[in-house]
Amino acid sequence: MSTHESVNILMVDDQPGKLLSYEAILGPLRENLLKANSGREALEYLLKTDIAVVLMDVSMPDIDGFQLADMIREHPRFQKTAIIFISAVHLSDVDRLKGYERGAVDYISVPVIPELLRAKVTVFAELYRKTQQLERLNRELEQRVAERTEELRESESQFRSLANSIPQLAWMANPDGTVYWFNQRWYDYTGTSFEQVKGNESKSLVHPDHAESVVHKFHRSIAIGESWEDTFPLRGKDGNYRWFLSRAMPIRDVNGKIVRWFGTNTDITDRKQAEEALVKSERLAAMGRLAGIIAHEINNPLEAISNAFYLLRDHPSLDEEARYYSRLAEEELARVAHITKQTLSFYRESQRAIPISLAEVLDNVIELQSRNLHVNSVSLEKRFQTQGKIQGYPGELKQVFLNIIGNAVQAMPNGGRLRIALREVTERKRGRRGIRVSVCDTGVGIPRENAKRLFEPFFSTKEAKGTGLGLWISRGIIQKYEGSIRFRSIALAGRNATCFSVFIPTAAATAPTEIAALVA
Amino acid sequence: MSQRKAVILCVDDEQNPLTLRKFVLQKAGYEVVTASSGKEALELAASRHVDLVLSDHLMPGMQGTELAQQLKAQHPNLPVILISGVNELPPGSAVANAFVSKIEGPDALCKEVATILNLPLEACEN
Repeated sequence: MSTHESVNILMVDDQPGKLLSYEAILGPLRENLLKANSGREALEYLLKTDIAVVLMDVSMPDIDGFQLADMIREHPRFQKTAIIFISAVHLSDVDRLKGYERGAVDYISVPVIPELLRAKVTVFAELYRKTQQLERLNRELEQRVAERTEELRESESQFRSLANSIPQLAWMANPDGTVYWFNQRWYDYTGTSFEQVKGNESKSLVHPDHAESVVHKFHRSIAIGESWEDTFPLRGKDGNYRWFLSRAMPIRDVNGKIVRWFGTNTDITDRKQAEEALVKSERLAAMGRLAGIIAHEINNPLEAISNAFYLLRDHPSLDEEARYYSRLAEEELARVAHITKQTLSFYRESQRAIPISLAEVLDNVIELQSRNLHVNSVSLEKRFQTQGKIQGYPGELKQVFLNIIGNAVQAMPNGGRLRIALREVTERKRGRRGIRVSVCDTGVGIPRENAKRLFEPFFSTKEAKGTGLGLWISRGIIQKYEGSIRFRSIALAGRNATCFSVFIPTAAATAPTEIAALVA
Repeated sequence: MSQRKAVILCVDDEQNPLTLRKFVLQKAGYEVVTASSGKEALELAASRHVDLVLSDHLMPGMQGTELAQQLKAQHPNLPVILISGVNELPPGSAVANAFVSKIEGPDALCKEVATILNLPLEACEN
C-alpha cells in the first residue's frame, strides 16, 4: 500500500472505561478513532462523517447495539459500513447475529483479545479503503468515458459539418467499396435518398456511356487497395449531367489494414467549359488568320485582273463583241471584289478617323438597298433623332450597316416593315454617352438555337449565298470603336420582330472638342 | 495638258501586277518607272526625278513600310502611297501619305494618286 489514508472508526459504549481501552488497543492502527457514549451520539457521528467501521457494545441502556445496527442498515449510505459487535457470548445473541450475515458484520466476545480486535478492525478498515479507492477509480473512469464520448461526439459533428461544408460531394465506403454514408451536398445535387444510393447503387447516376469503365476502375482500386481517380458526368436531380473529378482514398488502421474509403466528387463542369471555350477561341483566332491569308492571296491577283480588264475595256483593237465579253467579265469580277471586300477585309480606307455622320452613312446604305426594299415589298420607317456625329472610318461603318440592314431585308422575302432608328443615348451599363442605331424587321426571326452562334465566323443561315462572316466582321469593327452589337428576336402570335442594336460611344471622342469650345 | 507628265515610281515584287498597274497609270497620263524591290526603288529614286512612289506593302526583303520610311528620310517631300491586299493597316503605315487597298480597283487608285499629287480628279476618268 503506497499511501495510508486514515479512516474513521467509531467506537460506541456507554462505559467510558471501555472506550478508553478500545482506544488503547486500536491506537497503533493509526486510524481516526471517534468515541460515542450512546447510540444517539453514534448516529450523530454517522450523519456527519464517513465511518468505515462501527465498534459497539451490544448492551447499552438507551438504544442497544442491535437497534442501532438496524437503524444504520436502514440508511442506504451506511449499508456498507462494517459493524463489529462486542458482546458476552449469549446463545440468543449468536442467533441474532446470523441475521446480519449479508452485511459486513462481525462480533467479538468478551473478554476482548486485543490482537483479535485489531485484526478484525484492520480487515474492515482495509476493505473500506479499497472500496473507497475502487469507487474513486470508477468515478474517474466514468468521467473519462464521458469526456471521450463528448470528444468523439464533437469530432464526429466537426467531421460532418466539414464534410457538409466542402464544395465537393463526399462519401464513405466500407473496405469492400459499399458506400454507407454521403454528405448533404451529395443529396442536394443528386436529389436521391440514402436508400436509393447506398451500397453500390450510386453507379446508376453515372452517365451510361461511362458507367461500365467507371465501375471497373473503381473495383480494381478497391481490390488492390490503391487510391481511385476518374472523371465522368454524374446526373443531378434536374436530370442534367455535370462533369465531376472523382477521387477515393483508403483509410487504414495502425496495422495498415483498410478500414474504410473516403471519396469525393468535384464539379469540374465550368473548368471543362472554360477549356473548351479556350480551344474554341483559339480556333476562331486561327480562322481569322486564315481569312487574312486568303484575303491577301485573293486580293493580289484580283487587282491584277481588274487592272487588265480596265485596260481592255476601251482598247481600240476590240470589236463590239469582244468588248461585250470583256464587260461581262468585268462585272463578274466586281462581284468577286465586292465579296472579298465585304467579308475578308477589315481594312480602313483612311489612316485617321474623320468626323462622320451616321445619318449619312445610313442614308447611303438605304440608297444601296432601295432596289431590294422595293423587290421584297418592304416598307421603310426612318426615325433619325440626331445626325449621329462621331469620329470614325465611313467605309467600315457602311460595311457594318450594309450587313445588318441587308440581313433584315433578306429576312423579309414576302414583305414587311423595316424601321431604322438613330438616337443619342446614355449606355445603361457603363453610363457612357453615345449613338445607338437600331434596325428592326418583321422578318422570319432568329431561332433560339442560332442566337448563340450568330456572331461566330462561318455561321450562316443562307447556305450557299452567305459567307457566314458578315456579323462576325461587323462585331469586330464595332468593337474597335469600343461599342457593342446586340440583338433581340421575339415571336408573338405568329409574328416576329428582330432588332439589332449598335451602340457607338461618343464620350471619349467629343470630350476634348467640348473643352476646346469652352476654352475658345 | 501641256505640262510635263508626273513621274510615278511603281514598286512590286510580282511582275504581272506591276506591269498591269504601270499600264493603268500610263493610261491615266503619268510617266511610270518600275522597280521590283525596295532596294532597286531606293537606287532609282536617288538617281532620277520622281514625283510619287506607289509601292506594294508585302514584299520579300524590304517591306513597303520600311521602303516608305527610308524614302522619307532621303526625300522628305516625296509622296509615298502604299498598296496592299492585306486586311489591316500594317504597323508603321502612318509614314506613308496614303494606304490603298488593292480591291478598290483602278479608278480608286487613280483618284488617290491624283489627290496626293494635287491634280484634278478628271485626269483619270478617261
